[in-house]
Amino acid sequence: MKKLKVYSCCGHDTVVKRVYCPSCGANEISEREVEDKGSIYSFTKIHVPPSEFAHLAPYYVALVQLDGTSAKVTARMTEDIAIGDQVELDKVEDGAYLYKSV
Amino acid sequence: MTTNTYIHGIGMTKFGTHEDRTLKDLLLDASRQALEDAGRPKVDAVFVGNFLAGSMSNQEILGAIVANDLGLGFVPTAKVEGACASGGIALRQAVLAVMSGEHDTVLVAGVEKMKHAKTAEVTQAINAAMDTDSSEKSAGLTFPGFFGVLANRYFHETGASKKHLAMVALKNRENAMNNPLAQFSKATSLEEIMNARMITEPLGLFDCSPMTDGAAALVISRKPSGIHIKASSLVSGPTQMQDASDLLSIPAIGESGRRAYEKAGLGPEDIDVVEIHDCFSMTEMIAIEELGFFPRLEGWKAVEKGLTKANGEKPVNTSGGLLSRGHPIGATGVAQIYQLVRQLRGDAANQVEGARIALAQNLGGTGSYSAVHILERV
Repeated sequence: MKKLKVYSCCGHDTVVKRVYCPSCGANEISEREVEDKGSIYSFTKIHVPPSEFAHLAPYYVALVQLDGTSAKVTARMTEDIAIGDQVELDKVEDGAYLYKSV
Repeated sequence: MTTNTYIHGIGMTKFGTHEDRTLKDLLLDASRQALEDAGRPKVDAVFVGNFLAGSMSNQEILGAIVANDLGLGFVPTAKVEGACASGGIALRQAVLAVMSGEHDTVLVAGVEKMKHAKTAEVTQAINAAMDTDSSEKSAGLTFPGFFGVLANRYFHETGASKKHLAMVALKNRENAMNNPLAQFSKATSLEEIMNARMITEPLGLFDCSPMTDGAAALVISRKPSGIHIKASSLVSGPTQMQDASDLLSIPAIGESGRRAYEKAGLGPEDIDVVEIHDCFSMTEMIAIEELGFFPRLEGWKAVEKGLTKANGEKPVNTSGGLLSRGHPIGATGVAQIYQLVRQLRGDAANQVEGARIALAQNLGGTGSYSAVHILERV
């Protein structure tokens, strides 16, 4: 249910699905599920949000390095975090990946 | 291949808050200045760079408005949108139109009016330059947020710190203080910049370009002038942070630079003066690396040594840049060229002595577009 999908071709893993591989042009890009766990690659704490997220501020947006793949995913968090912290997917809400510390 | 296009006229309004002036008023003012500077040539086409007039001023058809209200006749016109690179892309479309042989003389203008709206509304409108059908947008990422994430990783991998970003912001403010058209002329200090309120950590208020009203315009032609557009390049890049193969690289900037250098037959060492898209202090740091002025992950050392100051070996943003000259989105790419033409004519704010080759780099989104133009005094 919570599994993330990663798309791979020509050695590039990404959570973004493409029609064709930008390297070789193939239209059959392999797809696999990866673990929900990862570590904080980098992050920011957003104090000035766009109007639709005003009720959440301040909040963290983190780039999570997923375990077992070179792909990363952008996530929202509410806890204080630092680069390298271990995190896991908590839930998917309104299209957003919400992560929490392990 | 170098182009056969030349710049004949430039115009620009003051950047800042224009409460009592409309979008159209600003657009026509800059356009009229450029036409008069060029000696009122017959204009064959118009390209206008703009990003937010539709969403924030309920105004489109900017190309037709320019042609009609200036009295240019039934010439072809178009508005060009490429987020914050709209102005640079408008110039490129004009250069291509001249190179193709379709038009002899083209007016390029850029305009934006943002100060009448609240920050949250503008931030929301600017988010249209993200892939809004993505989990990343749903997570609440913003443009300053992207560069905040990038900055924290840059600090992690290099010896750079918030102080180095503050040095970029301070340099650009000091340049703007000598530019009468710039939005900000008030002196500041490293301490004030580093202690300013946070926007998206580690970026504070002075690390972020402001909301700005303003317009700029150019007249280009196949007929020779003293300013030759030696190269024009444009590339697209990743539209999502989570799709970047290297967070500390903005490949659109690097690739647009490489293509422009190749067309011009020049390298980064040949450039005398630079206008870079410093939408955030962190962006200038990455761009001076991507454009080959300094080694990767070492831009902060150049900043620390003062090499990018107006009197340094590679002067960057002598206008004050987006951070302090201001960033009326669609006008920015055109205003960069305005400053560089003044540099090549020898009458610029923060004049670089003997400047002959100039480079402008205009970014859209988080690296979705990058346009580079190289100008030469001939």
